[in-house]
Amino acid sequence: MPLKSDLFELIFILVLAVFPLFFSLDTVSAQPYEFRDSENCMLCHRYPTIGRFDEAGEKKIFYIDGKDYASSVHGKLNCTDCHRGLNRIPHFDLRKVDCSVKCHLHNLSTKKAFSHMEVVGKLEASVHGKGPKFELKPFPEDLPDCTYCHDNRDYYSTGRAIGRSDDQAHAATLLRSQRDVIRLCASCHEDEEKMTRHGLESIKTFKDTFHWQAIKYGVKNAPDCISCHVPTGFSSHTIRPESDLLSPLNIKNRLQTCSFGVGALTCHPDATHAFAEGRVHEYGTKAQLLTGGVNMEGRFRSLMTEQARADIAKEDLFHYRVLSAIRLIYKILIGCTIGFMFFHQLLDYRRATKKGKTFH
Amino acid sequence: MEEKVIDIKSETEKGEREKLYFVRLNYSERVQHLILAVCFVTLIITGFMLNIPEEALMVLGSAGETVFFWRTILHRAAGTVMILVSLYHVYYLIFKPAGRRWISDMMMRGRDFKELKDTLSYYMDFKDTYPEYDRFCYKHKFEYFALYFGNMVMAVTGLLLWTESSWSKFVLDISVLIHGMEAILASLAIIVWHMYEVYLRPHKFPVDNLCFTGLIDEEEMKAEYPLHYKKIMADPELQKIYIRRKPGNE
Ligand code: HEC
Ligand code: HEC
Ligand code: HEC
Ligand code: HEC
Ligand code: HEC
Repeated sequence: MPLKSDLFELIFILVLAVFPLFFSLDTVSAQPYEFRDSENCMLCHRYPTIGRFDEAGEKKIFYIDGKDYASSVHGKLNCTDCHRGLNRIPHFDLRKVDCSVKCHLHNLSTKKAFSHMEVVGKLEASVHGKGPKFELKPFPEDLPDCTYCHDNRDYYSTGRAIGRSDDQAHAATLLRSQRDVIRLCASCHEDEEKMTRHGLESIKTFKDTFHWQAIKYGVKNAPDCISCHVPTGFSSHTIRPESDLLSPLNIKNRLQTCSFGVGALTCHPDATHAFAEGRVHEYGTKAQLLTGGVNMEGRFRSLMTEQARADIAKEDLFHYRVLSAIRLIYKILIGCTIGFMFFHQLLDYRRATKKGKTFH
Repeated sequence: MEEKVIDIKSETEKGEREKLYFVRLNYSERVQHLILAVCFVTLIITGFMLNIPEEALMVLGSAGETVFFWRTILHRAAGTVMILVSLYHVYYLIFKPAGRRWISDMMMRGRDFKELKDTLSYYMDFKDTYPEYDRFCYKHKFEYFALYFGNMVMAVTGLLLWTESSWSKFVLDISVLIHGMEAILASLAIIVWHMYEVYLRPHKFPVDNLCFTGLIDEEEMKAEYPLHYKKIMADPELQKIYIRRKPGNE
């Protein structure tokens, strides 16, 4: 029967095809990798158990997943392009990776050695820059460096890395999920103490906005921090304060930022000036300071008050007052109404059960 | 349905009167109530879904976006229907005789305050008699007007939020705030006030089907709304409107 023999043939081929898989199932813990490791670093670093406890007693894993590495954006680099001076075993002279160094790759069109120097320059000029060498900003340690934001090896894989690019358009898939971006920025910007030192307020009120409520559910079209602060055409490395004319959030540019859309993703296409130019983050510490709603101690009080005066316009302050008043009124209303109702029904219940009557 | 005037006197004289049922909600009112209730519950659920904490939403995974989409649609659909029903209710109040009777019985009167005082004293054992309520007592009036006002507030702020791009951010901030606060107030009020009335009051427990049948029996009518009962019994016109012989739908 032709059909049956066909079937046998098929099964035979399938078995043959699956056979090599049994061999490739590696029973040893060393993991295979697929890139040219000319420096033999993977000799040791392919073992998943490699690591040690650091001074703080935390376990650090020094295992490198060869597959991930090979498919990552940095997969074509030698390890020592970044980890300078680590080719000696045992390692000593451990230095932090410096993103501004040149690596052995060359830009095909310009033939110059590739480096991130350009990005470093941009970041230095942005609000996150540490300032000129000899007059550093106060508390420069609060500012992010490259590896603070680009810390996570999970993001190295190019499969997911066709992401929001630096200066080019937003692409379809995101490198970081919106929650990840928010977690990253919030790791500093939610820290009240850290922010006051720089005259900023905590942005934890972001989590009261409708934008966050949509992001919570994973709505792709809802904005995270960089959608607004770094829309298409801007770079995450050149974030500026809102007062800067070049900031996408400057009053002059707001309408464009709000009504922006890429393909199917549009935000507020029919936004008006009045809509776009209002307050976006909910009012926080600064407005509270100006209305005396918060007791702030310490040396940064005057700095914050000064900043608050500059940032919160008279009109905004009025808005804040109105909103607080409405909230207070409602709280009282809810408290009294529900309190009365509860009391009333409790009495009703007591009387009804006590008398054992069927009606009232 | 043909309706014959019930000659109560002659029947009572015979001493073998059938059991009577009294209309509390007519057909139109029951339908309005049902639509309103369904919309209300939908709105509460889809609205407060926004406040579920992030961790709890993790279980949704990638379905979250779809859930959110349908949440939005449902909330707006229910809101629209609720507004339409409320508008119809206003029409009903003005142009239908039953509606006009409804609103005139529902109006606040001086005696409501006295009744409130008397009821509370009765509850607290200062008094031994329960006040004689008319068709609607202060409990109904309070709830009805709270709902009336709340509905209006929710409709206006909701519509503002729906058309967000055309308003100033300040207006929207106020709307969000009021919409949220009023929602808390309304749902708590429904739970504490209305749910107690229809589910938990000892003689209603576990559930009161008044909102489906629209009728209560004579015994309850006499006990709960004695004044209205007396009025009906004294007036054949009212008897035509309020008295039914059989339980079930009119
Ligand atoms: C002979 C095995 C071996 C080889 C080959 C090796 N390493 Fe390591 N590496 C280790 C061990 C063991 C540690 C952890 C102990 C330590 O910190 O010295 C480590 C730690 C590291 C660390 C983490 C240091 C820290 O404390 O943060 C880096 C980065 C590193 N290796 C890079 C490299 C690079 C790049 C190469 C290739 C040029 C390489 N290693 C080759 C064994 C090796
Ligand atoms: C693009 C630059 C770059 C390349 C290429 C690179 N690394 Fe790293 N590596 C880093 C950075 C950045 C860190 C974070 C620590 C730091 O800031 O110094 C790091 C950390 C490590 C660590 C410590 C892990 C930890 O959790 O602290 C090990 C081990 C390591 N690298 C090994 C390697 C090996 C092996 C290779 C080659 C296969 C390699 N690296 C290639 C940038 C690089
Ligand atoms: C390592 C901590 C850190 C991280 C991470 C961080 N920032 Fe900042 N950011 C700061 C500090 C500190 C300042 C204040 C700089 C100054 O003093 O001028 C600042 C300033 C800003 C400002 C300017 C505020 C103003 O009006 O002056 C914006 C906007 C901003 N950050 C947005 C972001 C966004 C968006 C992200 C996430 C992609 C982010 N930041 C991540 C620490 C951080
Ligand atoms: C405030 C956090 C932050 C800091 C600090 C930062 N970056 Fe970035 N970087 C981002 C974000 C956000 C993106 C956008 C990609 C994404 O969605 O994750 C990005 C993207 C990039 C990209 C490439 C994106 C592409 O596809 O073109 C490069 C390269 C890059 N950063 C290099 C650097 C270097 C080098 C430094 C140090 C000078 C640095 N970054 C500092 C947040 C930061
Ligand atoms: C919907 C757009 C939008 C999103 C999303 C957004 N921002 Fe903003 N951000 C603004 C605007 C607009 C301002 C200017 C002040 C205002 O109107 O609230 C601002 C101001 C700021 C400031 C300056 C605050 C100050 O004290 O002067 C910081 C810092 C900031 N944003 C950080 C963040 C971070 C971190 C996130 C993510 C959690 C984020 N923003 C998300 C639009 C946005």
